[in-house]
Amino acid sequence: MNEGERRKQLLQLAAGAAFLAVAVVLVLIVVNASSSGDGGDTKLEGTKEVNRALKGIPQNGMVLGDPQAPVELVEFADPKCPYCKAFAEGVLPPIIENQVKNGQLKISYRVYAIIDDQSQPAGAAAYAAGRQGRGWNFVELFYRNQGSELKPYAEDEFLEAIAKGAGVKNLSRWNRERAELEPEVEATTAEAQELGFTGTPSFAIKGPKTKGLQPLGTIGGTNELEAEIAAAG
Amino acid sequence: MSYPSEWTLRRAIAFFAALGVGVAIYIAVEAAGGDTPACIAGSSGCATVAKSSYSHLAGVNIAVFGIVGYVLLLASAFFANDLARFGGFLVALGGFGYSVFLTYVEVFKIEAICQWCVGSAILMTILFALSATRLIAFAGAQSGSEPLPNRA
Repeated sequence: MNEGERRKQLLQLAAGAAFLAVAVVLVLIVVNASSSGDGGDTKLEGTKEVNRALKGIPQNGMVLGDPQAPVELVEFADPKCPYCKAFAEGVLPPIIENQVKNGQLKISYRVYAIIDDQSQPAGAAAYAAGRQGRGWNFVELFYRNQGSELKPYAEDEFLEAIAKGAGVKNLSRWNRERAELEPEVEATTAEAQELGFTGTPSFAIKGPKTKGLQPLGTIGGTNELEAEIAAAG
Repeated sequence: MSYPSEWTLRRAIAFFAALGVGVAIYIAVEAAGGDTPACIAGSSGCATVAKSSYSHLAGVNIAVFGIVGYVLLLASAFFANDLARFGGFLVALGGFGYSVFLTYVEVFKIEAICQWCVGSAILMTILFALSATRLIAFAGAQSGSEPLPNRA
């Protein structure tokens, strides 16, 4: 093959490659643009149940319930903590159904990042969902799909799926704000440590009959929690 | 149309590819250490982009692919033959195309701009222009020191 033929062949190959590259980039952009829906991720478990259970209850940041409720229960928890999941699924539901829905109690969820390196970004992702009024949906749905605390399952894809399933409307904003909210997780983790808590979930309570925020520590069950709420209010 | 000598183009490719290797290594090292690249003027764009799902491809940080691409481009500058010209063009084309996609993602999906990513995209654009010029001007040339006659 002479020089001219080889040159012609190389330039034809280059033109074909350039055409292919343009097509691939366009396909990538179109596929990504069409995958920006706000709908829930069908791979998750419990999406409908969680969103149905929380429907109609006011959410302000990570506070669930009427902002004017006289008693505030503060839960320090880690989304990756299995005990927090057990508590959320076994102890809290009757409290939410009764005291929260009747306006007697509000529950503030504060992240105590204690399990591993993914706890802080997971907590920040919950806070970012809270900015859009879906913080509790995020946390509850996270618990429903929680993996082993020993495994690093809470990657970005998992968190995005939870956010979608929780009904976070503006995913771009959520994605942006979750990076900014990690210092807030550090602050609430420090707050939990200052209160003397060494595990999750730990609780504190504030009401007309308490002197400021009263540390409770860990709670045995629904009855014990109801007693503390009654004593504070 | 007159072109610079291939020697000039190769030196320019080597220079910008070396810069690209530095940028990509910085991003990869920061990510491997659990940090995010520091944005100038305290912007949080780099952290947002680094924490997004687009920062990894098949579980590998895309900065690692960047390092490989820039090293290949750097290597292509050391040889004056058709394999280096065409190989360099293909790598630069791939890098440029992916940079276009990532810039789209930053602007329209993540809605955050990482200055390091923009820097890398600019470097890849320059390298694509240089590699394409090199291929158009010198494809088929034996010595590569001067453009072949009868070029478009």
